[in-house]
Amino acid sequence: MTGFVDLYTEGNTFLHQMDPRVKILAVIFLSALALIIGNLYYLLVLLAAILLLLAFGRATLSKTFFALKLVLRVMVLIVILWPFFNPTGSPVLFHYGIIKITEPGIIHGITVAVRIACLASVWYILMFTTTQRDLVRALVKMGLRFDFGLTLSIALRFLPTFGAMVESIEDAQRARGMEFDKGSLLKRSRNYVAVLVPTIVSALRTADMLSLALQSRAYGARKDRTYLRDLRMRPTDYAALALFALTIALPAFAKYVLQVHI
Amino acid sequence: MTDASNVSGKSGPSGLETARYVSPRVVAVYGVLTALTAAVTMTVAIPFPPTRGFFNLGDSIVFFSAFVFGWRAGAICGGIGSAAADVLLGYVFFSPITLISKGTEGLVAGLASKALKSRPLALAFGVVAGGACMVTGYFLGEWVLFGLGPALAEVPVNIVQVTVGGTVASVISYPVSNLLKRTSHGTAQL
Repeated sequence: MTGFVDLYTEGNTFLHQMDPRVKILAVIFLSALALIIGNLYYLLVLLAAILLLLAFGRATLSKTFFALKLVLRVMVLIVILWPFFNPTGSPVLFHYGIIKITEPGIIHGITVAVRIACLASVWYILMFTTTQRDLVRALVKMGLRFDFGLTLSIALRFLPTFGAMVESIEDAQRARGMEFDKGSLLKRSRNYVAVLVPTIVSALRTADMLSLALQSRAYGARKDRTYLRDLRMRPTDYAALALFALTIALPAFAKYVLQVHI
Repeated sequence: MTDASNVSGKSGPSGLETARYVSPRVVAVYGVLTALTAAVTMTVAIPFPPTRGFFNLGDSIVFFSAFVFGWRAGAICGGIGSAAADVLLGYVFFSPITLISKGTEGLVAGLASKALKSRPLALAFGVVAGGACMVTGYFLGEWVLFGLGPALAEVPVNIVQVTVGGTVASVISYPVSNLLKRTSHGTAQL
């Protein structure tokens, strides 16, 4: 399978021990903070703080780079294209025909790129330190219906299985003489029909078995579900939640009530 | 084909209150289709020489779910599966846009493919309508997040990707649904 299917990194830091609900809220707060800050330097400070938190969470460099690789391409695209489409402001650096490049345009482009970097990397705090099981459990605790949570867990459970299945069927077709990297785009995508049909059919057979297994284990038999492992907020979790709430509340108050330019 | 609001069990035999959950078959099929969408989005990449980029065939599974299992499956499995692929590839901030774009793509494709009588026309209409929703959704989302320039640059790429995915889905959906009717114990009739 190309890339990491699970970004979770084993560890025992304070971020790993924090309640997943607090982490979800913290990440949403920090994303909102990145959206309301308009100043490049403050955004760089926020990015540094996020990277520091990632370092506390023992994120490995290779995984961080893998995750940021796709985002970097978008950032470069924004920095290059933004000045052409938003030529506002006074110090005009370059003017030829309809093409006009201004200094505020360039700075604004960099600001947007750094904001995207913040929005992308802040989620790694959650993804690197929380297992997929805990994520679904937190979502169910936060009000997601149990059956929807179960569907989500089933999807996450079978994702790597199906990924491996696609690759082995590809290999099987290659062994029969299928050439996936030759011909026009249409020809290539038509070749993939020979991979997708067996994959879909065997996936839906898996679904058949799965629904029998669910029924035989008394899925939905009683309303009052109990859980083997329950999530419980500890005092430190409340403290962390308060801290993260302050990091969004104070700048938002400064910007929208005191009208400070940030 | 009944809908997902089908619940399992109304009242228990011993007076215990049974949960009013979605039926196990729907849970299993939707879970599997979601996983399939994410897996195909992440693994099947067709190299495209002119831009040195890659296309993924995730859209083909979104359209397939919509054509074979109806608009609800298209919306839920397409939206959540594609968003999950974004999350797992490290594009979490982008996943709400994907969720909405691909979700409406599946929803509209499922509804549109039922609107016409003739099957090939209905599938083509579904692909065009769903694809238009997806391209528009991504364009608007990227405009807000990245600005007009990068958003415009993505439009042709998305159009080619949705065309390829839609073509593949139209080719496979009919034989696969026939095959399922013959071989499985009624999964196709959800």
